[in-house]
Amino acid sequence: MPTFKLDGKTIPFEPGDTIIKAAYKQGIDIPHYCWHPGLSAPANCRMCLVEILPKAGQRPLSLDVLELDPKTGEYKVKQKPKLQPACYMAAAEGMEVAADTSEHVVRARHDVQEYLLLNHPVDCPICDQSGECSLQDYWLLHMKTQKRMQDEPVHKPKGVVFGPTIVYDGERCVMCTRCIRFMSEIAKDPVLDMRERGNLNEITVAPGRELDGHYTFMTEHVCPVGALTTKDFRFKARVWFLRTAPSVCQGCATGCNAHLDYDPRYNKAYRYRPRDNEAVNKYWMCDEGMLSYKEAHDGRVIDALVGGRVAPVVKALEEARSLFAGVAPTSVAIVLSARHSLEDNWAMRELGTVLLGSKNVYVSGRPDGYRDDILIHRDKNSNARGVQQIAPGARPLKALLDDVAASRITHVIALGADAPVDPAALGGAKLVVVAAHAGPLVPLAAVVLPATSWAEHAGTYVNAKGMRQVSEKALEPLGASKPAYKQIAELATALGYEPSWSKLSQIRSQLMGTAGADAPAPPGATVVA
Amino acid sequence: MSQIVLDKLRERFGTAILETHTNYGDDTAVVDRGVWKAVATFLREDPALDFDMPVDLCGVDYPNRMPRMEVVLHLYSVSKGQRVRIKTRVGDDDMDGAELDSLVGVWPGLNWLEREVFDMSGVRFRGHPDLRRILMYPEFEGHPLQRTYPAQKTQPLVEYRTEDEAGVPLNKLEPFGADEGMPFGRKGLPRDGTSPAVPGRRRSLTEDN
Amino acid sequence: MEPLDVELEEGELELPAEPMHLNMGPSHPAMHGTVRIVLELSGETIVKADVQIGYLHRGFEKMCERGTWAQVFPYVDRLNYVSPMLNNVGYALAVEKMCGLVVPDRCQWYRMALGELARISDHLTCDGAMAMELGAFTPFLWFIKAREMVWDLLEEETGARLTHSFGRIGGMASPPTPDFKGLCRAALPKILELVEEGERMLLKNRIFLERLENVGTISGADATALGWTGPCLRATGVPYDIRKAHPYLKYDEVDFDVPVGTKGDTLDRFLVRLGEIRQSKRIIEQVIEHMPDDGPVNVGDPHVILPEKNAVYTTIEATIQHFKLVMEGAKVPAGECYSYTEGGNGELGYYLVSDGSGTPYRVRIRPPCFQITGGLGKILEGRMLSDIVPTFGSLNMIGGECDH
Repeated sequence: MPTFKLDGKTIPFEPGDTIIKAAYKQGIDIPHYCWHPGLSAPANCRMCLVEILPKAGQRPLSLDVLELDPKTGEYKVKQKPKLQPACYMAAAEGMEVAADTSEHVVRARHDVQEYLLLNHPVDCPICDQSGECSLQDYWLLHMKTQKRMQDEPVHKPKGVVFGPTIVYDGERCVMCTRCIRFMSEIAKDPVLDMRERGNLNEITVAPGRELDGHYTFMTEHVCPVGALTTKDFRFKARVWFLRTAPSVCQGCATGCNAHLDYDPRYNKAYRYRPRDNEAVNKYWMCDEGMLSYKEAHDGRVIDALVGGRVAPVVKALEEARSLFAGVAPTSVAIVLSARHSLEDNWAMRELGTVLLGSKNVYVSGRPDGYRDDILIHRDKNSNARGVQQIAPGARPLKALLDDVAASRITHVIALGADAPVDPAALGGAKLVVVAAHAGPLVPLAAVVLPATSWAEHAGTYVNAKGMRQVSEKALEPLGASKPAYKQIAELATALGYEPSWSKLSQIRSQLMGTAGADAPAPPGATVVA
Repeated sequence: MSQIVLDKLRERFGTAILETHTNYGDDTAVVDRGVWKAVATFLREDPALDFDMPVDLCGVDYPNRMPRMEVVLHLYSVSKGQRVRIKTRVGDDDMDGAELDSLVGVWPGLNWLEREVFDMSGVRFRGHPDLRRILMYPEFEGHPLQRTYPAQKTQPLVEYRTEDEAGVPLNKLEPFGADEGMPFGRKGLPRDGTSPAVPGRRRSLTEDN
Repeated sequence: MEPLDVELEEGELELPAEPMHLNMGPSHPAMHGTVRIVLELSGETIVKADVQIGYLHRGFEKMCERGTWAQVFPYVDRLNYVSPMLNNVGYALAVEKMCGLVVPDRCQWYRMALGELARISDHLTCDGAMAMELGAFTPFLWFIKAREMVWDLLEEETGARLTHSFGRIGGMASPPTPDFKGLCRAALPKILELVEEGERMLLKNRIFLERLENVGTISGADATALGWTGPCLRATGVPYDIRKAHPYLKYDEVDFDVPVGTKGDTLDRFLVRLGEIRQSKRIIEQVIEHMPDDGPVNVGDPHVILPEKNAVYTTIEATIQHFKLVMEGAKVPAGECYSYTEGGNGELGYYLVSDGSGTPYRVRIRPPCFQITGGLGKILEGRMLSDIVPTFGSLNMIGGECDH
C-alpha cells in the first residue's frame, strides 16, 4: 500500500483517498466541518487546511501575503506557503504533509475558527448541540483566544421549521452544506439548498416542499453545529449528562449499528445515533430507526400478569406451574421470537426441547412492512436469521394456530408477544408469554412474565445478511422485568426443572457448542457468520 | 524512580507479574492473584526492598472487564524512601470468585483497609481475622463503590416518615432527586417555592423564616 | 488505701468477675461524636477494644464519580475540616500531576503559606481539645483563640472560615490579597505567644504530664507496619515527613526541622504537634519573604482555568470555554496516579484513576487518620480505662476523613 507522511507519521492510503480520509482511517483527526467520510467534499469550511511540503529541489507553492508590522504600522509583503484543503487533496506516494507541526496551519485553523465564530450567537446555554459541538471542541483545541471583532454580529432567521422533524437556526449555521449533500447524495431527495451570499448565507428548503421522508434525522446528525435540531430531542436533555451504550437498532432486519444515549439518573433513553459500520449501515440510519429508541419505554411489559391482572412475579410463576402440571410434552409448544436476542431464544429453546422435552417449536415476529433500497428492510424483526440459525426447524406461527385449533397443542410458552397474523385462535390453548413489549399475544395469555427490552440487557442479534452483532446494556431493568433468559430460567425452576444457565456468559459459552452458531462477537462488534 | 523494584519482582516471579508500568513516576506491577500474598511477603522481607509501610489498599471497579475488580495496594519503604503499587484483578461480572489472601499477617495495618475494601467493593479476604463491614452498617446490602451500585439509592434503617404518619407538617425539603450531585440541571425545582409533587409540603422560599 | 486485714490467700483477694462490656460513644464527648469503642474490661483494665467507625460516612468516593474533577474540591474540604486547605492543595497537586501542569511560583508559595496556616490550625485544635478532654479548659480557650486568628486570616484570603473550596486545578480561586503578608507578620507572633502561654501552663502541670507520659506507647516499627504517618509516626522517632522526604511545592527551598519524639507515647505526640506549630511559623515567615507580590497565580491554560465572568455573558468564545470547563469539566488524561502530600495528620494521598473524560473514574483518598485510628485498639489493650481519652485525643482522629 502506498504511504505518505503526516507530521512525520507514515500513513498508508488507498489510491484515490484524500489526505483527510487516509488520516481518518488511521484514527487521526484533521479538524473539519464540511468534510464527512460518507459524503462528497466541497472544501468550503477551510478548517482542514494543511501544508504540503515541497519535494527536495522544488519551489514551494507560496502566496504573497500582506502583513502588518506592529512596529512601523505599515503593511509588508510576505511569502507564505499556500495551504491546501486536506479533504480535497488526494494523497500521493511519498508526499510530506504538515498539519499540527506547521505554524502556518496552526495559524490558519485559529483564523478560520475566529471567522466562524464572528457572528455566532451566545447560544451555548440553550443549544442542544452544546457538549458535542465542533465549534466548541475546535475552539478549545485550535483557537483558545477571544475574537478581535467588536461589532454587532449579523442576525439571521432562528427557529425555522424545515419539516415535521427538523428545526433550523441560521445564526448557528457554519454553511458546511453537509445537510444539503446528505439529502441529495444519500437520501436521493435534493430538497435542501443554500441561498444568499457571504455572511447572509443560509440553508433553505426547496419552494413548495418541506424536509420530510425517511431520512430527515440524518441531516441533524451530520450537522457539526447546532443549526439543525430535531423536534424529538430539542430541549429534552443535555448531552453531557447522557451516557452511551453500543446498541443495535431493533426496527428491521438491517440491524443498523447505533449508539443508544440514555441518562442514568432517570434511567431513560433519549435518542439513537448511528454508529459507523461500513459493512451494515455505513454512517446512517432511517427516521423510523432513529425513533425506535422510544420502544425502550413505550409499550413495555413491566409487570407480571395473571389472567390479564397485574400480579407479583412469584404468583405468576406459581400460576404457570399449576397450568403445566401433568401436561404431556407432545401437547406443549414453544414459540421463539424473531425480536428477542439469540441468548433469549436459546434459553427458550433449551426450556422447550431439553427440559420440557417438546418437539414443537414455532417462531413469531412482526409482520413485514415498508422497504427501500437504502437501509430499510422488509422484515421488521431484528433477529429472524438468528432464530433460523439456532432452531432451523421452527415453523411459522400460522402452523401453531392450526395445531391449536386441531387440539394437537394445548399448552404454549411464547417468547415475545408479537404475531405476524391474527393469533386469536391461540385463545384455545393455555398460553404463557415471556415478553418485553406488549403485543397481540398478551391479551390471550394466562400468564405474562415481564422481560427486559434490548436496551436493558446485552444480547446478540443476527441481521438479514447473517451478521452476528452484539448490543450492550444501557438502562437498568424497568419495573419487575428481568432479562428474558433469566425469566425463562426462573420459569424452568418453577416448572420443576434445573436450568443449565443463569448468566449470559454461560449461555454464550453453550451457544458456541450449538451447530450453526459461532463464538459470540465482542461487545458492539459485528461478525460475519 | 528506579526500576529496581519492578526488576526484582519480575526476576523473582516471572510470568506471574502480568504487566508493569511507571506512569507519572509510580512503579506499578499487576500480579496474578495467586501470588498476591507471596509478592507481598517478598516485598516486605527482602532486605533490599524493605517495604515496611502499607500505605493504602483500595478497589477500582471496571464492570466491563473480566475480572472486573482491581485491588490496588500502595507500599512505601521508610528506610529506602521508595514506593511501589501492586495490583491484582479478581471477580467476574457478578463478583463471583472475588477472593484474595489476606495480608494482615504481613502488615497489621491492612486489617482495617481490607475490611474497607470488603465493605465498599465486595472483595473477600481469605484468612482475615475479623472481616466485617467497617464504614457501612451491618444491615447494608451491596457494595457502594462497585460501579453498578446506583449512586442515588438509599437504604434507610428506619423508614422515612410520611406526613400522615407524623400527623404534623414535617417542613422538610424534598428528598434528594436523582440528579443531586450532578453538575447541572436540577429538574423540577418550582419557581414559586411550592413543590409540584406534594402541594403545601414545602414552605415558600420567599416567606420570612 | 490500707490493705484489708484479713488472712486470705493472695489469689482470693481478687473478686471473681466476668469481663465487663462497656460502650464508649458514639455520642460521648471525648469520642468527637463519631467513634464508638466497644470495650471489654477486666476491672479498669482494657482487655479488648473494638473501635468502630463509619458514623460520618458520606460516600465521598462515590460522590466524586458523579461530578467533574473540579467539583471534588468542596468534598475534600469536608474531609479534614480543621485543615481543609491542605486537602485542597493536595487534591489540586494530584490532578495537576496527571495533567502535567505546574502552577506559577507565586501560587506555589501561596499554597504553602495557606497550607501551613491550616496545619497550625489543625495542631492547635488537636492539642487544645486533648487538654480540654483532660479537664484543662483554659489552655483550650487560648489555643482556640490562636486558631481564631488563623481562621480570620484564612477568611480574609478565601472568604470562608472553614470550608474554603479555594483550590483550583492549575491555581487558586483568587490571588493573595494585598494585606496577606502584613496580616501574617502581625498574627504569627501573637499566635505563638498564645501557644507558649498554654504550653507553659500544661507542661508544668503534673497531673497533665502523668496522664500523658508512657500512655499509649507504640514503637516506630509497629507504627510503620500499621501505616501510621504524620505527627503520630514522628512521635515514635521515625523522621518521616513528606515535606522533607519527597519535597513538593517549594518545601526544598525553605529551612525547617522535623520534630520527632523518642518514646511514641501520648506526650510525645502532644509535643511533636507543638514543635510543628513552631516550624510552620518558620516556614510561613520564609514564604512571605519569597512570595512575589505580582505575577500570575493561575496557569494560563484555557483547558483548566475559567474565563472572566463578564466575558462569559457577552462573547461566544468565553461562553464556550466556560461550558467546556463547567459542563464537561477539565479533561484529565487517561491513566492512574498516586499523589501524596503531608496533611495535618500525615500522608494525605490521592489515588486518581481517569478514563480521559471530565469526570473522575475513581478518586481514592488515603486519609491518614484511617490507619491511625485502626491502630488505636492495639495500643489501648492492656491499658486503663482512663487512658482512652488522652490516647484517643492525641491521635487527632477527624471523622470526616476517617469515615470518608
